[in-house]
Amino acid sequence: MLRRVMRRDRMIGLFVVGVVLFNPPILNLVGGSVFGWPALFGYLFAAWAIVIAGIALVVERSPGPPDGPTAPRR
Amino acid sequence: MTQGFILFVSVAYLLTLFAIAWLVEHGVRRLGGLTSSSLVYTLSLAVYCSSWTFNGAVGRAAQNGFDFLPIYLGPTLAFCLGPIVLRRMLRISKANQITSIADFIGARFGRSAGVAALVTVIAVVGLVPYIALQLRSIANGFATLTATTPGGAGHPLLFDGALWAAVMLTVFAMLFGSRSIHPGEHHPGMVVAIAAESVLKLFSLTVIGLFTVYVLFHGFGDLFAEARANPGASQIFAYTPDRYGFAWVAMTLLAMVATFCLPRQFQMMIVENVDERHLDRAMWQFPLYLLLINLFVLPIAVAGRLLLPGTENPDNLVLALPLLGNQPVLALVAFLGGVSAAASMVVVETTALSIMVCNDVVMPALLRVKSLGLQERSDLTQLLLWVRRGVMVAVTALGYLYMRHDSAQTALVSIGLMSFVAVAQFAPAMLAGLFWRGATKAGAVVGISVGFAAWCYTLLLPSFFQSGAEAPSFVTDGLFVIPLLKPYSLFGLTGLDAVTHSVFWSILFNICGLLAVSLFSRQQPVDRAQAAAFMDADNPGEAANLWRRTALIPDLHALASRFLGRPRVDRAFAVWARGRGVDPATAVTADAETVLFYERLLASVIGAASARVLVGALVEEEPVGVDELMSILDETSRLMEANRQLEDKSRALETATADLRAANARLTELDQLKDNFVATVNHELRTPLASIRAFSEILRDHPDLPGEQRAEFLRVVVTESERLTRLINQLLDLAKIEATGALPSAVVPTDLVAVVRESAAATQQLFAARNVALRTRVDVNRALVMGDHDRLVQVLINLLGNAAKFAPPFKGTAEMSLRRLGEGYELAVADNGPGVSPRDREAVFERFRQIGDAMTAKPQGAGLGLAISQSIVEQHGSRIQIEDAEGGGARFSIVLKAVTARETAPPEPEAAPTLVG
Repeated sequence: MLRRVMRRDRMIGLFVVGVVLFNPPILNLVGGSVFGWPALFGYLFAAWAIVIAGIALVVERSPGPPDGPTAPRR
Repeated sequence: MTQGFILFVSVAYLLTLFAIAWLVEHGVRRLGGLTSSSLVYTLSLAVYCSSWTFNGAVGRAAQNGFDFLPIYLGPTLAFCLGPIVLRRMLRISKANQITSIADFIGARFGRSAGVAALVTVIAVVGLVPYIALQLRSIANGFATLTATTPGGAGHPLLFDGALWAAVMLTVFAMLFGSRSIHPGEHHPGMVVAIAAESVLKLFSLTVIGLFTVYVLFHGFGDLFAEARANPGASQIFAYTPDRYGFAWVAMTLLAMVATFCLPRQFQMMIVENVDERHLDRAMWQFPLYLLLINLFVLPIAVAGRLLLPGTENPDNLVLALPLLGNQPVLALVAFLGGVSAAASMVVVETTALSIMVCNDVVMPALLRVKSLGLQERSDLTQLLLWVRRGVMVAVTALGYLYMRHDSAQTALVSIGLMSFVAVAQFAPAMLAGLFWRGATKAGAVVGISVGFAAWCYTLLLPSFFQSGAEAPSFVTDGLFVIPLLKPYSLFGLTGLDAVTHSVFWSILFNICGLLAVSLFSRQQPVDRAQAAAFMDADNPGEAANLWRRTALIPDLHALASRFLGRPRVDRAFAVWARGRGVDPATAVTADAETVLFYERLLASVIGAASARVLVGALVEEEPVGVDELMSILDETSRLMEANRQLEDKSRALETATADLRAANARLTELDQLKDNFVATVNHELRTPLASIRAFSEILRDHPDLPGEQRAEFLRVVVTESERLTRLINQLLDLAKIEATGALPSAVVPTDLVAVVRESAAATQQLFAARNVALRTRVDVNRALVMGDHDRLVQVLINLLGNAAKFAPPFKGTAEMSLRRLGEGYELAVADNGPGVSPRDREAVFERFRQIGDAMTAKPQGAGLGLAISQSIVEQHGSRIQIEDAEGGGARFSIVLKAVTARETAPPEPEAAPTLVG
């Protein structure tokens, strides 16, 4: 129970991080080129990958609650 | 390439997919088990990436840079909320046998056909442009590949690639989505085929991306360097402080809600889900898929800008680049990727729409018309299938017509966004329905309708005239020539692009309508109770108590058999009856729960609204009184409250139990220590006593012993008595020290120099007897500390005694030193004996602990000396440290805090020496 709540809260945290990172005005801070690569290209995909890695960590480290009604297999 | 060849390849590809689906549904070898894999589930969700991703994103990137990306960032954010929103949606849908998004909203708001039909109509209207866009993308691709011009409005119908694409896709949609009736609307074959298409999409776009970056250019660095040098392409990356604003936010929001509001996503994510745990995996795997498929979009777009500037339709860059590099095979792969993307979207979308239209619009209407006699027909499965096929044809035909009409070059992304805004109108009602019991049916109807109307006025209607030369006056001047009603700047709102503008107004109206009507209309108790039952997915039985319904089981059974086929119903009922402990052969009257079981079984095929109409005709329904409803509601909330309190308590109990367990462990340990102590003391006292007694008895019983032997025995008795006395003294000492607490009895300024001299003098004899040399080194003249002179002497004598004991005779040396160390003085006693190994350094201070092998050489003393010394030093606010002496052996040191001259007056307890070393 406690673990499920913790997992839910962590995911909400990731959501907030994602909303902040993926949207203006933070987005508008990035621009120009870094080492010849467009900075925004690197920034967006890096931030995206980090959020995905965060979800994977949270989800995979605490497998889903076994108590819920699982789907009946046909 | 000839048209015939490309057509042949496309059809062959689609046939292969169909073969996969057929094999899966017939359970051939291991293919049948594919749907139970979370990876297949994730890939099937990738139906999200239609040809809009495949061609449109590249086109958009070529024109606007990163604008295409929010559409794929949004689902990532939505999946962050997966454990809250999506999982809840999934559970409720499973519990209520939901078959589509219209069914979901309809079931939440009173299982009414009206709401479901409204949602269905909006979905069809909203998605027609989206389907049109898929058809046009295929037609465009076909034209690019065969180097012809795509069919415009004036093109002969028969030679129109889009028409053939539409016909082909419709046939395949029928084959995949409406071959037979499954309860729960599971289409395992379709799911696996879509997953396969998703793999091809990703593969194709990645191959084109690699080709573009590494063959047409020399890697990313080269590509980006050329882009910077090119004035057209460099503006994509140019840094402008307020480049991304409301449009970006609006698109992210749209994509977020589209994750569950698009009928095809709802179909794949919720309806086709066979195991709740798959959703966990998909929460990160699906965003990962989106990331991978988007990785090369921008490089391809930039390359297109550089190599094919000017007139080229940017939506076709994925095809044009391989052709430019003279790679027709690659171009064909790209074309197949686009076909995959479009086909999967059209197949799933039309399947979802056909289920919605059939279950929520056509069937309720047909069932109400008594003259058709449907109530009496024995097998309706064929009818259901043909209605669905008809709907598929109609929807694709509408899409085709829209495409013919809107064939002017509006970019793919803009059309797709229009559909996103339309389906986003479902989001407020869905989310409110999931989390707020007070959301009413009237509120949902008003919210959705108002939002849809705003969408039509600000986005759909003007789009019809965008391309035409003569726009009607309502677009340019506003309705009734009122400037405030201009569709693209409603109420004077300017500065936003059309989509953002429409999102803002339609969602605002939608939410306001939903909230206002829900808050200010009266909700019937039965509606509220039903909402509660719908949302409480974990207790499906609860809903049954809302109606007192009775019916005859044979009637219900016959009804369900007409839609599902008798064997399936027999099987389902047998399982269910066994679960309740009822004999399926003899049960005749159905109670409320049984009625609900049949209703849900029916709903799994024809939707909640139709099922309710059908079952309603058979049952005796008696509404439950308001009082009883309120009591059910109260009971539910009371139960929830009690549950929460129980959880809190059990958590508190767990903490308390852990504390108690730790305390218990500590007590057991102490008890063990006490037992050991008593046993050791017992042993230590008995040994000398026994030898005293033995020798005394010898002396008593043998008066004629020789004189020297008698003297020898008497000496032993005296030695043993002394040992006994010493032991008892030490025990008393220890007890006294431990009883007095932190401070020794006398705390006065004490001169350590005197302490050293005194203890050296006291042990002089001992060292002489054991032939060990003792050196004393005092580096200070006077060393004042707060403490007890006699106790400190006792400590030093003990340490010196140990040194004398362990230093080897004749070669042994011991050194006692006193020196200034920072704020204090260090007293140390070192010897050149065997030393104390690091792991024993704590243990030597325990009572009765003697280092070394007790079996071979029993050291002298009771093993209390160091324990007592340590206690005394601790009372002086320090500890005895053990380290290795320079020439081997052990060095015991004590650091005591010096007192300044001012402190020499008798101190307060606070001035006690503090720990220094």
